[in-house]
Amino acid sequence: MSTGLVTTGYTNMAGSANISYPIISKTIVALVGGFGSGKTEVSVNLAKYLAATQQSPVTIADLDLVNPYFRSREAVAEMEAMGIRVIAPRGGQFFADLPILMPEIKGAIEKTDGTLILDVGGDAQGTRALGSLAEVFGPDQYEMWMVLNSRRPQTSDLTGCLNTMKRVEASSQLSFTGLVSNSHMIDETDNEVIVEGYRLAGAVSRETGLPLAFVSAKRSVLETIDTGVFECPILPLTRSMLKPWERKETGVDDQSNNQRT
Amino acid sequence: MVKKLMKGNEAIGEAAIAAGVRNYFAYPITPQSEVAEYLTWRLPEVGGTFVQAESEVAVGNMLFGAASTGKRVFTTSSSPGISLMQESLSYMAGAHLPVVLVNIMRGGPGLGGILPSQADYFQSVKGGGHGDYQLIVLAPSSVQEAVDLMILAFELADKYLAPVMIIGDGMIGQMMESVEFPEKYRDESNPDEKDWALTGAKDRKPRIVKSLFLNPEELEINSLTLDKKYREMKKSETRHELYKVTGDTKILITAYGTMARICQTVIDELEEEGISVGLFRPITLFPYPEKELFAEVIKDNIEYILDVEMSTGQMIEDVERIVKGARPIDFYGRTGGIVPSPNEIKDKIREMLKK
Repeated sequence: MSTGLVTTGYTNMAGSANISYPIISKTIVALVGGFGSGKTEVSVNLAKYLAATQQSPVTIADLDLVNPYFRSREAVAEMEAMGIRVIAPRGGQFFADLPILMPEIKGAIEKTDGTLILDVGGDAQGTRALGSLAEVFGPDQYEMWMVLNSRRPQTSDLTGCLNTMKRVEASSQLSFTGLVSNSHMIDETDNEVIVEGYRLAGAVSRETGLPLAFVSAKRSVLETIDTGVFECPILPLTRSMLKPWERKETGVDDQSNNQRT
Repeated sequence: MVKKLMKGNEAIGEAAIAAGVRNYFAYPITPQSEVAEYLTWRLPEVGGTFVQAESEVAVGNMLFGAASTGKRVFTTSSSPGISLMQESLSYMAGAHLPVVLVNIMRGGPGLGGILPSQADYFQSVKGGGHGDYQLIVLAPSSVQEAVDLMILAFELADKYLAPVMIIGDGMIGQMMESVEFPEKYRDESNPDEKDWALTGAKDRKPRIVKSLFLNPEELEINSLTLDKKYREMKKSETRHELYKVTGDTKILITAYGTMARICQTVIDELEEEGISVGLFRPITLFPYPEKELFAEVIKDNIEYILDVEMSTGQMIEDVERIVKGARPIDFYGRTGGIVPSPNEIKDKIREMLKK
């Protein structure tokens, strides 16, 4: 699926020469995580990466049903400008604390001619919604990856991760096919946090037999560390879910938009 | 202790446990429901109890009853829910009960919306309930400060035998930040050490916890006793923080909660343009840091005050009262759940400087 690089931004990263980006071989990628896992940031960054590097269309759907804070209108506009189709509630419903499952999602699953990324809330509402869509998934059509953050209380050790994953599998009636290590402390993320999370994800991988699909982390931190320690693909992240007092970092996807005013 | 990434609402729940609290009464409402969600599993782990009441009116009365036993108790809610608790809040103040309430404010009036707001300043600081009473009101601007102020709130409630309110706009409850909790958690409070608590009158004189005084002389004494406490709070409990207030500062911003953090970004960026702006952030909204604010505004270099709020202008009434016309005061605010952006505030300041 991943073809030649269309934009140059994803090839050159200061400080670490050749990193291998995630390879997506299925048409549907469901990224599941509780709040604080960073699954939305990972989903948005993965969608942007795919949109920049593959010919076939990319769709992202919001299955994080009950979390209106930190839905970012700006992130939606940016993705749409890149040609990504965004399926999310609009208007007043964008900010409603109601479980809204967009009917278009089912249609997008049924006729995927590219890649569909599902951003799934790790709570019962999100995972049940995913489960309800499962009948339209072909069995070999999808990836379901657990996004892990070792700095979140419920996924800070092996037992916590395994319990969380079991709960998601029980309510979605689907099985995970891989893991994403996305350990972070938002703006306080450092080398130690990323490596510690990678080790924990490795332990979860050994315990469950699930592959580590990729490790994701802030681009600016990845640029300062030796990424050779990661024996899996890497997805550098540029934050799009910002707090009102935070300003954008310069990333590959926003080089033209990094002025402070 | 390793720093954890926590949502404000979860951290508020954990902070109560760190403060030795084992009794929590609440009714769910966005944007604070995660406190209740967190405590449904966390309180049982430490032998505590969460009762989900049938309404916020019932929560208020449960707090009154449970606080009378001398145990540490608290609730969390959001604007409309806090409105429903005003009657019992007035009763608790009148009966000298130590209680902590957290209001994660959403846009109002009425059912309003669920996005961040600071429109409950009047309700918290000027008294939403009836009678001569005040609440100690604390306003955190980060998740870590919410944790620290929660622990302080229970200490102040016990010290003054008075209700303490923490107000945070929706961002405080919903955002994720790194937090640290004390190494050692406080043990559950011991009611036997309290000479007013209803612990069973076996082998001692019965005690009464009440706010009913039909004899006017007795009622006046109760009001004067309350007034004495409020005067003591004004003397000893004011807290505030300054940001980049220097001898060159021309404009002093007054802002609290997460609004103050947006103003810090504004101040940093205007500094790069050579415009010197500073911030006065009250942490206690009652007692307001009056002397401290007045001392800053009358400095020769200060030309203007700019009050910034997520409301149509509430705290500004206190700022005006304190500044007493010594400097011109301007206002910038957004409401309805819209959070002012740093750029909007910068534009406002540039406009002020043109005058």
